Amino acid sequence: MSYTLTTLWHDRQRYLPGILAVAFSALLIALQCGLLFGLLSISTIPIDRSDADVWIGPQKVLSVDTGQPISESKLVSRVAGLPGVTHVEPYIQRFSFWEKPGGGTDLCIIVGCRLTEDSIGPSKVLPRELRDRLTEEGAVVVDESELERLDIQHAPALLEQGRFATAKINGRPVRVVGLVKGMRSIAGPYIFCSLFTARSIMKLGSDQTVYVLAKCDDPKHASLVVEQLKSSPLQQEQPDMSVFTKDEFSYKSRMHWLLKTKGGLALGYAAALGLLVGLVVTSQTLYAATMASMREYAILLALGIPRWRLRWTVVTQAFWIGIFGVIVSIPATYFLGELATHLGVKPLLSAELMAAAAVITLGMAIFSGIIALRSLKQIEPVNLLR
Amino acid sequence: MAWVQPDDADLRSATMRDEPVLQGFHLTRSFGDGETRTYALRDVSLGLRKGELALLMGPSGSGKSTLLAVLSGLLEPDRGQVLARVNGKEVDLWKLTPRQREQFRLKHCGFIFQGYNLFPALTARQQLEIVLRWGEGVSGAEARERSREMLSLLGLSKKCHLLPAQLSGGEKQRVAIGRALIKNPQFVFADEPTSALDWAHGEQVVELLRIAAHERGATILVVSHDHRIVPFVDTVFHLEDGRLQESEPPDETPPPGVRFRLEMPP
Ligand SMILES: Nc1ncnc2c1ncn2[C@@H]1O[C@H](COP(=O)(O)OP(=O)(O)OP(=O)(O)O)[C@@H](O)[C@H]1O
Ligand SMILES: [Mg+2]
Repeated sequence: MSYTLTTLWHDRQRYLPGILAVAFSALLIALQCGLLFGLLSISTIPIDRSDADVWIGPQKVLSVDTGQPISESKLVSRVAGLPGVTHVEPYIQRFSFWEKPGGGTDLCIIVGCRLTEDSIGPSKVLPRELRDRLTEEGAVVVDESELERLDIQHAPALLEQGRFATAKINGRPVRVVGLVKGMRSIAGPYIFCSLFTARSIMKLGSDQTVYVLAKCDDPKHASLVVEQLKSSPLQQEQPDMSVFTKDEFSYKSRMHWLLKTKGGLALGYAAALGLLVGLVVTSQTLYAATMASMREYAILLALGIPRWRLRWTVVTQAFWIGIFGVIVSIPATYFLGELATHLGVKPLLSAELMAAAAVITLGMAIFSGIIALRSLKQIEPVNLLR
Repeated sequence: MAWVQPDDADLRSATMRDEPVLQGFHLTRSFGDGETRTYALRDVSLGLRKGELALLMGPSGSGKSTLLAVLSGLLEPDRGQVLARVNGKEVDLWKLTPRQREQFRLKHCGFIFQGYNLFPALTARQQLEIVLRWGEGVSGAEARERSREMLSLLGLSKKCHLLPAQLSGGEKQRVAIGRALIKNPQFVFADEPTSALDWAHGEQVVELLRIAAHERGATILVVSHDHRIVPFVDTVFHLEDGRLQESEPPDETPPPGVRFRLEMPP
């Protein structure tokens, strides 16, 4: 081991390309996953920004945007009666069609929630004043980054004059009474409105909702409440009901988008390319290093030192190259992550992600050592006796 | 410069000298086939005794390195037999499995190849340690101690911690000799050990090999072009076109098989 480290240090110039290649692979994997996760997290902003600990929705809910309506009757009061539950309210979130004032339609996501101060839905991202304005039927609020997509670039100017941009959703007229920041989406712009407006846009009865949200006395009790609900007679009465904790639901929605958008595939492809580059460079580095020491290795073989001992040495070198590469990659990843954040895309670089990238690239480094073992095959002591 | 206390070991080894411990019989080895077939060895037979320092000479391409490789278990002969006597037992080297031959070399053979062949990153002491640790699985502390001892016997006690780049050519070759001798092998094979050195250092190397043979009882075969070595060795073999020469070479070099009885250093 110490011979290996001594050699790596002494010939650092020679091993540097391998170390950098490993660092590059680790950085590529971590940063790409981080960016994708960051992007996916946009799809669950309404879940993550809400205060609800438990989400109850129609069965086969795949993503927060595709829920089918369920009946609210009894559900709210039954859930509220469960021990540990302190607050229950209906929540509507579904796809709809935004009819642009200039013609044409685009997907949008209706977010209808209670507007009271104690609401546990995502309406708490709206200031008091905006929530007040939303109480009127047909009033909506959108994110300021989506104006172009919704074809209402003139909305801010109108708002200044105390007037509202208008459009239609599902044939119902709506007017934009205000703008928010930081509520971007991937699938379609979020359209914030009251439960009443949402029901009227989606032609739901006053008894129907898409989700029921519950808050627990302690967020840690969320999974207990979920268990209770799943085993309660309510589940038998309402077989189309499914229950998640906030974290489960957020995760499930992200995975849905990951698979649906094939983002995972694109990521896997790019990551595989990064790994391949790392693999080739690292194994070539080790190959060249081994060939450079071939006379020394040949002497050892002549002296009867078994070949596996030399193979082990090469693989150990690969392991340490991997370790050093990963160490180099960590600050580089965070630095580039910061840079990306400044450029407007925030990667989610969790410790788990960094650890996974490290393990994968370390495996790659060791594998490159195994590939480089073919160099040892060419070393025959007799070839050096001439 | 002495390896061991001068005792009656020399006397014992002197009597044992008459027993060959490494013998080649009718060794033949060719390379290529058809038109391009060249014979590097043609029916070579020879015997080396315990404690003997033998020199193998001959023009370039005469098969010296090939003979060394065949006798040391590195290159299989087309025909012929290599018998080694270790611990009173006769071993037919080319009847062993490759694994057994590797074990044989590990236990009984030391090598010095042309050039120094030292790991650039390792200190003089580590070059020796590695052989003990990787070969015999000796503990770190013991390997360090034995390597240090060997290097001080070679007059390198102050150079233990230096890298090859910090050593002179002669010092590097002495480290290479130390690596060949660290296992205390029965047989040592050296191909052109002095070719990279000036004569003063070459002489030193030969002197060290002579002491290793005479005082440690090792059987040492040295391949060299250098006639100045002749007075230091016990036996000289002449190889010409793959054949051991029976006739006396034209110059002052002694006929093959003639044993120089050298005075032991006091
Ligand atoms: N692997 C090989 N393939 C083909 N021919 C070989 C091979 N090894 C040796 N030979 C040939 O065998 C002959 C003897 O080679 P060898 O290396 O034993 O010579 P040598 O006496 O050591 O020469 P030198 O003093 O130049 O080192 C040469 O003609 C050489 O070309
Ligand atoms: Mg030769």
